[in-house]
Amino acid sequence: MVDFLNTPFLWVVATLALYVVAYWGYGKWIDRNVWRSDAKRATPAHMYMDGVEYFPTSRYVLWGYQFKSVAALGPILGPFIGVTFGWLPALLWIIGGNFFIGWLQDYGSMMLSVRKEGRSFGPITYEFTGPRGRTNLLAFVLFYLIILSAAFIALIATFWDSKAFKGTTFVPTIGILFAGLLCGQLLYRWKVNVFVVTGIGLALIVFSLYLGPLLPVVLPWGQWNLAVWAAICVVILYVAAILPTPTFIQPTNYLAFFPAVAAVILILVGALATPFTGVTVQLPAGPFLSDPQGLLGPLWPILFVAIACGAISGWHSLVSSSSSSKQLDIETDALPVGGGAMLSEGMLALASLIAYMVLAPTFVFGVPGDPNNPAHGNTASWPVGAALLVSKILGVDAANIYLTAFFGLVLIVYALTVQALVTRFFRLVAAETWSEGRFRLLGNKHVSTIVGLGIPWGFAVTGSWWALWLYFGGANQLLAGLAIMLITIHLARVRAPTRYSLIPGIFMVVTTLAALMWQTSTFLYSVLLYTQGDKSWVLRNVRGGIQADPNYILVAVFINAVFVVIGAALFLVGLSMAIRLFRSYRSSVVEARAPVAADGGTPQK
Amino acid sequence: MADSKEPMKSKSRGRRVKDAAKGVLYGMAAHGHVTAALRTRMYLEHLFMFITLGDMLGVPVIPPYYSLKILPYAVPNIKSWKQRVFRERDFTDQVF
Repeated sequence: MVDFLNTPFLWVVATLALYVVAYWGYGKWIDRNVWRSDAKRATPAHMYMDGVEYFPTSRYVLWGYQFKSVAALGPILGPFIGVTFGWLPALLWIIGGNFFIGWLQDYGSMMLSVRKEGRSFGPITYEFTGPRGRTNLLAFVLFYLIILSAAFIALIATFWDSKAFKGTTFVPTIGILFAGLLCGQLLYRWKVNVFVVTGIGLALIVFSLYLGPLLPVVLPWGQWNLAVWAAICVVILYVAAILPTPTFIQPTNYLAFFPAVAAVILILVGALATPFTGVTVQLPAGPFLSDPQGLLGPLWPILFVAIACGAISGWHSLVSSSSSSKQLDIETDALPVGGGAMLSEGMLALASLIAYMVLAPTFVFGVPGDPNNPAHGNTASWPVGAALLVSKILGVDAANIYLTAFFGLVLIVYALTVQALVTRFFRLVAAETWSEGRFRLLGNKHVSTIVGLGIPWGFAVTGSWWALWLYFGGANQLLAGLAIMLITIHLARVRAPTRYSLIPGIFMVVTTLAALMWQTSTFLYSVLLYTQGDKSWVLRNVRGGIQADPNYILVAVFINAVFVVIGAALFLVGLSMAIRLFRSYRSSVVEARAPVAADGGTPQK
Repeated sequence: MADSKEPMKSKSRGRRVKDAAKGVLYGMAAHGHVTAALRTRMYLEHLFMFITLGDMLGVPVIPPYYSLKILPYAVPNIKSWKQRVFRERDFTDQVF
């Protein structure tokens, strides 16, 4: 028996207990006293039932759907950066973010959409802030999707290229994609029974996992491997976005679901079994007020945008108000579906954090200046930590190549499946934005997909992954802050208590704008230092291939300058949106406080 | 489903747990794909209605002779078609 207190067990139990309090205590209280959900009030699913978009669905089905739609790379990779400041602040943010903000946003977005007849955030923003506000949101979402795609493409390429997997993950990834294509044909063209198709698909995945270590794929171009891997990823995503969803995306996502869920369950069981398996916490608890390796910046605001989806995420608000709200059977289901799915995502973040906590610090953090183990470079830590947690339960060695290949594959499919949907969403948004007018060519299906993948590819192969991740996190969390402000405006308008969403909303907006400003300033400072003869800051923000070759120094400066522009644009568009929302909130409060006319008509001015 | 609310109460605890587990599994694995397939069918139905009724709306797609022949198949769908076509749609509706 190992030192019980030195294992992650107690932290897992304490966090799960706090999630229970968040759901059954705070959650139920907010549901009863702020939103006053009513099971007898007709939901849009009943009011506008058409059997396609609006139809009542069981809360269990919707919970599963919501969880699968929101769970992606965010809660897995976010803690990797978060632990830089020590695992304790990372854990506290995951708990606090989930408890006070995360579930409140997902649930509130769903309730807001339900109370607004199933409308999504575009029309609601239009109602609250006018046509310019809605255009502002559209511009912000376009920027957000490009940065999100850049971060995900960079990471998928990094995982394929990672030395930790020795090239074992590429063949299984192609195996899943091929199995998805085949299963799509079997299901929709040849009408084969779904259970038989699932069996065939899973057998193919197992077979491709077996082939992975036998047929490792390692590219020979050194520092430039990443650009090639990213290009391969872009080609796959292009095909996924162009083909009809039942042909490729749907069956692939369906098959990818099984290993992804199995991995999360395995890690949580592994974490709970640590007092018996002897796996102990290795990372320092912290808190470190600033990144000890001098790259990321201060704990506030960086930690709060680094761990995005595991604590709170703006993407969730789009999902909650897009389709789930149109299928909610009764209003009281919003808490288990919206809030419950977010807290479950919090469990995924917790499992991921535990997987990092049990690894050696030099493995997770890297060593500044070491080209073989650079700072924040070992993004493949999660599969290694996950394998360590579950290896003793399964009775295999932690370095077992099949085990690390399995978790590596899970990491890649989490990113690839969501990115395929994001690319498709970008195409649809582009079609909506540029369907007519001078730029209508950009609305074309192929052109918009190429643009939506080409620009992110450029960022992915030039900028460092952590810089991209922090921009993505900043944009994502700012979207969350804006969603919470929309919720608050609605609550003010209906004279419900607003402080429970207003305080988190202000915190998120201020924190994320500060993070975007910090990031932008860092890039700007790097360029300014270069003009004074110091190249080091400019080089640390770019990829290894550009760092290594002195001829590319001007390219590095250009990349830094582009990141300044991107950061400034995100900051300004976000700030403009935030100002509109705060103004709308203020006028809503004033309107709500005005005495109501005796006949219930227009309030007195 | 809404109509399954009342029968749920009379089900045994074991059966309810089993139904919940099935629901969660279905929701995670297939619900999104089923709704996407329904949406694809919806767009095809829109096309069918447009082809059939286009002539009456001032967009002659096929000659009225054929429109009138398939009109009986289109009539039952007119109400839901009108409801869907007139519904406010936004880019944020297309996330999933």
